[in-house]
Amino acid sequence: MTELLAPAGDLERLKIALLYGADAVYIGGKDYSLRANAKNFSEDDIKEAVSFAHNLGKKVYVAVNIVFHDKNLNGLEEYLKYLKKVDVDAVIVSDIIGVKLAHKIGLDIILSTQASTLNYSAISFWQSLGVKRFVLGREATREDIIRIKKETHASLECFIHGAMCTSISGKCVLSNYLTGRDSNRGGCAQICRWVFETDNIPFTFMSKDLNMVSYLQDMINIGVDSFKIEGRMRSVYYIATVIMCYRKLIDKICNNTLTEQDKKYYELILDRVANRDSVPQFYQKFPGPNESYFQDREEVSNQDFLGIVLDYDEKNKLVKIEERNYFKIGDVVEFIGPNMEEVTYTIESIKDEEGNSIEVARHPQMIVYLEVPFKLPSYAMMRLKIFDKNKVL
Amino acid sequence: MKNNKILITINDLNDIKDLKELGIEKFVFPLKNFCVGIPNTFLISEIPFDIRSSSYLYLNRVLDNEGIDNFKLLKDIENFKGIIFDDLGIIPLIKDFKFEKILYLSHFNTNKESIKIYLEYVDSVIISSDITREETEDIVTSLPNVSLFVLGYPMAMNSRRLLINNYATFHHLEKENPLVIKNSNQEFLIYENEYGTCFYHKPIFNGLSLRNLDCKYYFISSSFLDIKDVISLLNGESKMETDEGFLNKETIYKLKGESK
Repeated sequence: MTELLAPAGDLERLKIALLYGADAVYIGGKDYSLRANAKNFSEDDIKEAVSFAHNLGKKVYVAVNIVFHDKNLNGLEEYLKYLKKVDVDAVIVSDIIGVKLAHKIGLDIILSTQASTLNYSAISFWQSLGVKRFVLGREATREDIIRIKKETHASLECFIHGAMCTSISGKCVLSNYLTGRDSNRGGCAQICRWVFETDNIPFTFMSKDLNMVSYLQDMINIGVDSFKIEGRMRSVYYIATVIMCYRKLIDKICNNTLTEQDKKYYELILDRVANRDSVPQFYQKFPGPNESYFQDREEVSNQDFLGIVLDYDEKNKLVKIEERNYFKIGDVVEFIGPNMEEVTYTIESIKDEEGNSIEVARHPQMIVYLEVPFKLPSYAMMRLKIFDKNKVL
Repeated sequence: MKNNKILITINDLNDIKDLKELGIEKFVFPLKNFCVGIPNTFLISEIPFDIRSSSYLYLNRVLDNEGIDNFKLLKDIENFKGIIFDDLGIIPLIKDFKFEKILYLSHFNTNKESIKIYLEYVDSVIISSDITREETEDIVTSLPNVSLFVLGYPMAMNSRRLLINNYATFHHLEKENPLVIKNSNQEFLIYENEYGTCFYHKPIFNGLSLRNLDCKYYFISSSFLDIKDVISLLNGESKMETDEGFLNKETIYKLKGESK
């Protein structure tokens, strides 16, 4: 079955991604990965992450995908040896020195999308250096993927959801010029979301997000080996929601039970959680004006995510929740969680940590207890109910 | 005089005479259908026979499968002195060719170890201009067959999207190509062809001072420049605004927590 590969910016997100249905996660250490602003993983965290994932029969890939300057090479070989020692499943690399060292150490290698690989001959070149899997450039079309698979039989990883670089990945140093931060060493300042002056109307070139819900079946059919979700900087709620949606979609495709209603429902949820439009981008056609934004836009996040489940007291039917956003008695909410279907529930009572009844939970991170008549697993989440699956068509 | 080490892209065949007078003999022809961000490109048949043995073909775009197939169909490329390319998919295709192979993998090749590996496959590597003078000097003095980009508009971004076309279409504007855009006192010249859009930083990069380093070649991109300005810059007579990019301005390797 095609792998569902999730991003994780820290250990909590990694656990959530795996529990909500990802088959594998990709993470970054404190050094050498392109998301320098994510919390990222210490060496001990990586060891714990691998142990957690392997206990579930799942995998961890570690991004070591900066473009190295000479001084950044100090300690790289030792770091790769450590990754080998703690049994990570592969490293994601873009610079050829990373490939050479990882191969020498015996690590499986995934070529990062930063290497901008869009043709079978480049794949052959990297295969000769020991690369096993390829994250194709996000510009790869359906025909590109088919041809590459046919010519190389390589394991192919394709992005299916999340933010897009406007640039070909690895081919942009706009951050270097505008902020002094090196975009190929983790400092990308998302310049493609800035507004530029011209002698006419301001120039913008920000891409809408990627969303491949409509083409999952086709991508499975043409031999894509791994479906990759973008977003190591994203929140736990985003990770849980996106992974859960794609887990259900992929499983329903494989079971031949996917309906148009399912697709519509999950698309609505995916759009809502990202708060940005998402489209298929390059897969079937060249992106035109409809695949980009042309106005400066405020990205105001919604307050759908109400709380995370810490514990459930079966005897008293009480769920312990850490609040994320305001909620009150009478709100219609939904619980989502690992290995469960969404459940709708109307909040009937709220108690604070001292057992006092309260009407409203106002403070993020406050601990409250709700009377809920069904069992909820740890890491379940409570969100506002926005969409009714039976009414989406 | 180090002008015999200069590789210069050609905009117009009429410029060749002036360049030869300056002792420049290695001409680089951006190849039609294999380049992005360059207004003047050439079919092989348009390149004069008498200079082919001292000229290079230039392919600077990321190639898709069709691009690779089309490269295989090119005829007479071995009559040229060499080839300068960005896409690593070219390497397996020219393995047995006898001409000079030069890799210009934009924004990569910022450390000695990677360059050393690529030099097992090619005759020279044009290293990234995103590094400092000190880093550049260290690489050039440590490795043979390194080449340097020394003059021209530096590419800051390359997108597969038709960004000018999309912008003009959306706003119902007449398409302006190239287009100059500005933010935070930084200007970019952007240019689009059917293979995508390139952003170049303004003013032009002037790394001619790097000619004091003994490297294989000095690469000059003359796109969007008048040849008279290029010659004047080479002769140190120009008043044209230029800058030294990142030579004296190290970019930040931003890390949180422990760092190496």
